Amino acid sequence: MKKIFIALFLIVAFLIILIPFASSNPDGLEKVVETYGAHESQSPWNGIMADYSIFSIENQYVSTLVAGILGVIVVLITGLLVSKALAQKH
Amino acid sequence: MHIYDGLILNNTSIVLAVIMWIFSISIFVWSWKKAQQTYTRSITALLAISSAFVFAAQMINFPIAFGTSGHIVGGTFLAVLLGPYAAILSMTLVLGMQALFFADGGIVAFGMNMFNIAIIGGLSYFIIKALTRKNYSQKLFISSIFIASWVSVMLGAMITSVEISPAFTGGLGVTLPSMLMLYGIIGVGEGAITTVLLTSIQRLNPTILGGLSLLKGRTDKI
Repeated sequence: MKKIFIALFLIVAFLIILIPFASSNPDGLEKVVETYGAHESQSPWNGIMADYSIFSIENQYVSTLVAGILGVIVVLITGLLVSKALAQKH
Repeated sequence: MHIYDGLILNNTSIVLAVIMWIFSISIFVWSWKKAQQTYTRSITALLAISSAFVFAAQMINFPIAFGTSGHIVGGTFLAVLLGPYAAILSMTLVLGMQALFFADGGIVAFGMNMFNIAIIGGLSYFIIKALTRKNYSQKLFISSIFIASWVSVMLGAMITSVEISPAFTGGLGVTLPSMLMLYGIIGVGEGAITTVLLTSIQRLNPTILGGLSLLKGRTDKI
């Protein structure tokens, strides 16, 4: 368990440091869509924290950071559940 | 590279999306069984931690040419750390949370993304294994990590361009060359970052590199 908290701390530090440097340019797929103008339809689901931000937080940096940390925590917890399930036969 | 649902709009795309759902879920079940058989206690925390790291790393886009950015995918990274099967599970988990909470990658398109990113990424393990067969040189290991990362990104981009082609007037003739060109560059970033990450882990804490049995020549039961 201690390992998990150390990892959480390090990954959060990683986000705190690197989020300001992240490029907001479109990624490869988005660029192709932008350049050639895909026909697009409405998405049926827009998530809870679309674009990795939390709508109630105005500061973009904090908003992305909080969304990122929440995501990391959710992935950590589900990851532990998956490992537990995998281990069951042993 | 995450396909979003807005691009899945006509009947062809929807049929393709359903096929990919079925196909990817079948491979997921197979990987689950394989991962259970080859499970070792050492990956318990590692699976959760490396999934969380890949999630965070995918948030950080680095700029490439043409006003475009890319982020590390991390498929090969997970494959070396966790082995191919647990890597598929780990990346599926990351993709699932991205789709569910952040609408990064669609729900209808989830089977496609699972295949392009998680399954191809996990199976890139076998590229490294084939390249390093019976040869334990560190240089070869590093270059095969680079090659596997690049190839997995390119293969993913190639299949993505097929899957999104119905949304473009120009079809595959437009999506394939442009996707391959952009991801050819992003793949170099992927290869470089994956190589640096894995060699750093290898130096700092060699024991956690389960996949490094590749390097040490231990014939694992995979």
